[in-house]
Amino acid sequence: MNKLTGSFVWVSCSLILFLTACNSFEYSPNQVFDRNSPQYLNRKSLQRLAESVKDDTIRFVLTGDSQREYTHSEELVRTVNNIPGVDFVLLAGDISDFGLLQEMEWVNEIFSKLKMPYIGVIGNHDLVANGEKVFKRMFGELNFSFVYGGVKFVCHNTNSREAAFDGSVPDLPWLREQFKAEDGVTAYIGVAHVPPNNGDFDTSLSEQYVNVINNSPNTLAALFAHTHSKNLFYPGRGNIPYVVTNAIENREFVLIEIINGKFSFKNISY
Amino acid sequence: MITIIFFLQSGKVFSQFPEILIPKDVIVQHAGSIGYFSVGAGYRLFKNKRGNLDFNYGFVPENKGGTLHIISAKFVYRPFEIKLKDWAKLYPLNPGAFVSYHYGKEFDFYWDKSQYDEGYYWWSSAIRPHISFSNEIKLDSKKLFGSGKIKSLSIYSEFNTNDLYMVSYVLNTKDLSLTDIFKLGIGIRLGF
Repeated sequence: MNKLTGSFVWVSCSLILFLTACNSFEYSPNQVFDRNSPQYLNRKSLQRLAESVKDDTIRFVLTGDSQREYTHSEELVRTVNNIPGVDFVLLAGDISDFGLLQEMEWVNEIFSKLKMPYIGVIGNHDLVANGEKVFKRMFGELNFSFVYGGVKFVCHNTNSREAAFDGSVPDLPWLREQFKAEDGVTAYIGVAHVPPNNGDFDTSLSEQYVNVINNSPNTLAALFAHTHSKNLFYPGRGNIPYVVTNAIENREFVLIEIINGKFSFKNISY
Repeated sequence: MITIIFFLQSGKVFSQFPEILIPKDVIVQHAGSIGYFSVGAGYRLFKNKRGNLDFNYGFVPENKGGTLHIISAKFVYRPFEIKLKDWAKLYPLNPGAFVSYHYGKEFDFYWDKSQYDEGYYWWSSAIRPHISFSNEIKLDSKKLFGSGKIKSLSIYSEFNTNDLYMVSYVLNTKDLSLTDIFKLGIGIRLGF
């Protein structure tokens, strides 16, 4: 063995060792987890949120569609970190583009740099391939809710097309339960990916859906992403705002405040 | 292992097939995006036998992130050959390409036309094209161990990436590096 090949063998062996240490062994792009995959991210975030010091202002960010937008996601994290008093961030679906583990890990690495907890909600792209299993293991349930400062946030799956419009998505019986009067809850906010006026939402359910959302004792708003453009509409009875955030690729998100039970928001470009 | 024994014992059966259809290699691979473990049969291509076409079946068990069943067809070419010893050769950089197919209802070959408009998702979740770079050390087992059915024994490592990782990379070169998108596998190739 001459010097050149000897050093080549040495270099390639050490490269393999190095990459092994970096978890470079991949069994499949569709694997549900690897050695370093985080778990229960939403549960951990909500725990952090519950332990945080509360004031009389609830201030949070609505964003979505981080799919394949790592550079712009970094910019979003920097921008949000510079806004004072943000309690948490809602990442309302399409965390990944192809439903792959690697994508959700990359996005989580970036969003972990937020000073405040972030909560992931399921989007249609997150349900592609093995995405549902990856999301459930890494983030948690597709339908879940939490109460913060007396406001109940009902996060849910509205990606009807991925269920082939079989009537199961959104889960109306579950939503009805969630939007019922409850001790310790003074207001309600829905959070989902596909808004009910979109073609990917099951049109046969949209009217009932809006009724369930609007007919709680006190719904403040319903929040969405998916369309990659900002939007605001008031469906059904009452004057309840349905707010759709722009996508991360368009470098705009929604900053929301609830002060003394009053809901307000503004779109922020960065 | 089972495949290897099968090949050793069934030499007579195979000899009835046309020579060209008989695989010359048996491959066992760990990781490399086509299974926690995969086994395969390989054919040698070109006059100089520097090319290979391998067909692998791979499996990812549930406790390793599965359950997944993956079939792959792999091509590799070895442009450089370095003689290390009388009985050892090094192929330092071998470009290759392969296609993997994930079996299962979660993985779509075609997107259902009644469910999705044309082009709603532009990729197939079942079929994944990959490019690869590998290196290989090939030992002449006849010269090393004397006679035997196994003529050569190779160990290789292979880095691969796929279309979806590449698309993610090209739009985010500031935040993703090549080591983020290239994944590793290692394997053994037995030549008969």
